[in-house]
Amino acid sequence: MSEVLPPPAPKTAIIRDCGPEGCEVDWLTSRTVVTEVDDVAEFTRFAMDEGWGDGLPLIPPTVERVRAFLAEGGRYPDELIATLPPMQTECTVEKIVINAVMAGAPPETLPLLCAAVEAIADPRFDIGGLNATTGSVVPLLVVNGPIRDVFDIPYQHGCFGGAATLANAAARTLRLLMRNIGGQQLGVSSESVFGNPGRIAGIMMGEWEERSPWKPLAERRGVPGNAVTVYGAMGTMNILDITSHSGPEFLESIGRSLAYPGCNNFSPAVAFGEAMVAINPVWAEIIGRDVPDIADVQEMIWRHASLPLDAFQKRLADSIVAAGRVQADGRVYLTPTPDDVLVYVCGGTGSLHAHGVHSWGTCLSATKAVR
Amino acid sequence: MALGTVLDPSARRVDDIAHPGPPLGPLHGKTIGFRVDIMWRSWDWISALWAAELEAAGATVRFWRAGGRTGEEGARMAEGLKEFLGSIDAAIVGLGNCGSCTGWTIHDALAAAATDIPTIAIVTQNFDDLGHNLARRGGRSGLRIHVLPHPLNERAREEVEQVAREHYPRMLEAMDAAAGAAVSAGAAAA
Repeated sequence: MSEVLPPPAPKTAIIRDCGPEGCEVDWLTSRTVVTEVDDVAEFTRFAMDEGWGDGLPLIPPTVERVRAFLAEGGRYPDELIATLPPMQTECTVEKIVINAVMAGAPPETLPLLCAAVEAIADPRFDIGGLNATTGSVVPLLVVNGPIRDVFDIPYQHGCFGGAATLANAAARTLRLLMRNIGGQQLGVSSESVFGNPGRIAGIMMGEWEERSPWKPLAERRGVPGNAVTVYGAMGTMNILDITSHSGPEFLESIGRSLAYPGCNNFSPAVAFGEAMVAINPVWAEIIGRDVPDIADVQEMIWRHASLPLDAFQKRLADSIVAAGRVQADGRVYLTPTPDDVLVYVCGGTGSLHAHGVHSWGTCLSATKAVR
Repeated sequence: MALGTVLDPSARRVDDIAHPGPPLGPLHGKTIGFRVDIMWRSWDWISALWAAELEAAGATVRFWRAGGRTGEEGARMAEGLKEFLGSIDAAIVGLGNCGSCTGWTIHDALAAAATDIPTIAIVTQNFDDLGHNLARRGGRSGLRIHVLPHPLNERAREEVEQVAREHYPRMLEAMDAAAGAAVSAGAAAA
């Protein structure tokens, strides 16, 4: 049972003296609906009917809950964070908060959520293409800075998925925003053939900066301190190595493993792409000892993440040649330059594995400060 | 059971242009632009055949090839598209034959239509709904979209060219070309 109420009258004056909670001023401008709010299962069914849901339980975004979240989050609800294609719809703080309430995210994650929205809306990231593609790409978030611990963002064991933390609700919020504001709907605006487990509730982790021999990923990308980096991830790929002993050996193992003919990056239809590598802290220590400069680390992975032309089927090889992708050494490289290989440290201390994350294509990673 | 007021988490665009835009009219003397890409050889074959027909009917044809749309290359592409659209009288934009390339096909077709020239987007059947949805979400539900069979790129060149010949007069009709344009061009519609 629900009743749709008319939208509130547009406000002619916004007074900020009273702070984000608004005092007597009604800041909220979203359409309101009267419905069941005590029973999560009942509300979830209602939300699914409205097209708001992701299939998991949703907390009713009551006016009271949204106001409380805003008051704690400390941001004004009418602040425009980004305009998201393809609908060019406005993602305001109010919309972020409503979706965060539904996902169960803690109010203190609001600055992180705003930064993440800024990142996915960066034109470099091509969120419009990512939303529509037949590929299985999903935004993967890497968080740097002290907020990792404040928000309990996983960066050790199982950081790619499985950690029991409220940070998961923040990641889920971004997925809801991509549905509800970005308009990503399977079979309507998204043609993803297989989807991706990360499309359910997102992928978000931190970097284990304290165990990294190199500067934090975001700082290397020009944003020191609290920051979030978004990367278009096609999925994760395990790289097991129980035989290497030195940094160069591990990097060769990682690079060789990343290069396979069916990877999007090798397609002549993809103008360029990136690659991401998560290195466990044990390997990171060994690699950092032998290869202290991160630029050399990237270069060594990049050099090995390449294939000779005869590794491709003839028709594909012909297209690669026609696209001018074969370098002077007769090899085809996964990314245009070593800089396009993103390396960071995370994961458990059990060692043995690296995680490769292939990119979808021309959707380039973006890093934003969390303010 | 308790009722309460919840806030809508979604946002929707409300403005829309339902009109298809100006008709193509006579072909003679027009400069007609093809937007091609780096993905679909089938679209290269089709656009080459259609271009020959259009030239035979007295039109001038220009091509613009879309590449990477982000970073520095993306900036060059945006500039190139703008220049291309400023140099043509009508736009044939393809090919929507995957999710993201349908997204960019519709994006570029909307950009063309926004300059008030006759415009048509070309998609394959599997991406017909996506194309229309994206056009509506882009604020122009009336965008002309012509649908080719799917799968297309998997077919041999001879088959694809047969598809091109069959669809040429239908595409012209969808663009509201002047009556008899296809016939005057000698298109083999059979």
